[in-house]
Amino acid sequence: MRLRPFQKYRSSLLTRFILIIAVALLFIPVLIPISLIASWGVNRILYPMPKVERNPVYQSGKELESLWHKEALALSTSTPEEINKRLEELKTMYPDASLFWVDQTGTTRLQLPQQETLPLKWSISDAITFMKQRVDADPFTIVAFIDGEEEPGRGFMVFELPRKFMNIVSEGRPSDTRFLFGFFSLMLIFFILLSYFFFRDIRHRLLRLEAAMTHTGENGVPALIQEGKPDEIGRLETAFNHMVDELNDSQKREQEEENLRKSLISNLSHDLRTPLTVLASHLYSISKEPLSEQGRHSLSLMETKIGDLDGLIDHLLSYNLLASGRYALSLERQDILRIVRESAAAWYPVWEKAGIEADINLPDEPLHWNVDEQGLRRVLDNLFQNLVRHASGGCYVGISLTKWRGTVALVISDQGPGMRSTSPAKGAGLGLPIVDLLLQEMGLIRDTESSSEGTSIYIYPV
Amino acid sequence: MTNTSLLYIEDDLEIGDWVCRNLQERGYIVTWLTSGERALEEASSNQLVILDVMLPGLDGFTVGQRLKKQYPLLPILMLSARTSIDDKLQGLQFADDYLTKPFHPDELIARIEVLLRRTGSPSPEPLKIKHLLFHEKENRIVNQDTGEEIILTGKQFNIFNYLLRHLGQIMTKEQIYEAVWGDTYLDGDKTLMVHIRHLREKLERDPAVPEIIETIRGIGYRVRA
Repeated sequence: MRLRPFQKYRSSLLTRFILIIAVALLFIPVLIPISLIASWGVNRILYPMPKVERNPVYQSGKELESLWHKEALALSTSTPEEINKRLEELKTMYPDASLFWVDQTGTTRLQLPQQETLPLKWSISDAITFMKQRVDADPFTIVAFIDGEEEPGRGFMVFELPRKFMNIVSEGRPSDTRFLFGFFSLMLIFFILLSYFFFRDIRHRLLRLEAAMTHTGENGVPALIQEGKPDEIGRLETAFNHMVDELNDSQKREQEEENLRKSLISNLSHDLRTPLTVLASHLYSISKEPLSEQGRHSLSLMETKIGDLDGLIDHLLSYNLLASGRYALSLERQDILRIVRESAAAWYPVWEKAGIEADINLPDEPLHWNVDEQGLRRVLDNLFQNLVRHASGGCYVGISLTKWRGTVALVISDQGPGMRSTSPAKGAGLGLPIVDLLLQEMGLIRDTESSSEGTSIYIYPV
Repeated sequence: MTNTSLLYIEDDLEIGDWVCRNLQERGYIVTWLTSGERALEEASSNQLVILDVMLPGLDGFTVGQRLKKQYPLLPILMLSARTSIDDKLQGLQFADDYLTKPFHPDELIARIEVLLRRTGSPSPEPLKIKHLLFHEKENRIVNQDTGEEIILTGKQFNIFNYLLRHLGQIMTKEQIYEAVWGDTYLDGDKTLMVHIRHLREKLERDPAVPEIIETIRGIGYRVRA
């Protein structure tokens, strides 16, 4: 699959990984400010403005102060009576405040209300002590000189107000950074989750791919998998599917080739055997006619040769299939003694006819080997056939189990003239190579001990 | 066995002619077809089918499968020049026997008889084995020496009947056990031996020297006519 460069980068695992790394690097310079801003924003949203309750009469200290100074300035040219009158007016406006004034001689004049603690005659130290005491204290105190620029030193007037009557400012806004830790943790968790999901996804997909590769179907080829995102792993999945397709194709081709070869051999077998059958049928018909001794002998020889030819065709074709590996064996763990007994049962009448005494000594307990039943039958058939053909002179066939090279072996023995002797029925000798090929396919070994006294064939698993 | 009708499907004229003549000489009624096309219609009136594999048109495997599907009880004997194990296995999926060419006519007859005995209707003629007469129809065994009927238990009869159906063939202990008991043969099981001993006590003239049920040492048992 070809991707446009942008899409390729966008869908690359590397890009995503770099993105995560970038997030990690930006943590301090970007995320901390972001969490700060977020914390500030949230704080503002949750606590919009500190609530200020305004006292409609007393307003703020600043306003009272400027008002008091303005009044003092306005009274700078007034007579003491006028000052008293004005203070009384002001007292009605600010009933909770204490007002008094002191004239230029330091004598306390009008007090509204009367205060015991105030000195009647103010010395300089009294004034300084009073001023010192009242700085930023309760009551809130404003001292204003009642003098204009033209006429200084006419005394001062004092406005005292317990602070509880002044503007009540509710508690200030909580710190803007109180949510910082929360936001920071949230982002940290988000980052950790992001990384975790990124790697978990990769791991999950790799494991899925691994499972798909390990599990093979009936034909030994893994099944196709669903292709996911078009990143590196996605491309791996595509490549994997491509490979599976190729494998299936090649297996199909191989199967076709195998079928072709098998059918060719089947047809060849048919075409060779049909004339042979016709030949045999005519020989049989002739054998029904009255014949001379010589004729009868020739006929029997011809029948034997047709039998040999039949065997040879069979061997030739079997060998061809076997040698090319087209002979499909399905190995199964099974009791071979059962197969041996059944094969011996089929051959027993032949042995009886040839005057061969069968000495079959097999235990009742099964012997499990990994074999193909038809393959093993074929092996036994070939061995028994050889025995009948070449060793019937010994009039003996022995089938038993024995200890051989550290394992249990099946022994087929005869008392014939041995393999090195020349047998009148000796042919191309494809029987034993077929036996060996089959045994090899089934993981079995054949050992042969042959002397003029007889032959023993040992078959045992590797 | 006479008056048994066989359906023979073979495209090779020489072989077909020869086999036909041979079977007819032995008293069989033979219907010979050179292709499988009319096999299904003809099969209904026959007791056994002999079938070649390489046929023009429908091949023998296909014809055989169709025959078996329509007439499950009709025995089919494949007679083919194809000898590979694959072909045999494919044939034996539906056929009852597989004989390869070239063959001896005596072997063909022997196999036909085994098949008819195994699957066909019981013959009205009693089967004679040594001193015993076996009336297949009534499942009756008569000892000719004494003229008395021999009564067997169910299992004993099943074992004897199984060996009779495979007359002349050696059957292994496993084969007999699995056919009669319908169960997997367990190693070293003495049940079959015990049953054979009791069977012999009833059937044999001298159970110590059995004549009817032969022991083939190391392989199994056999009953011969």
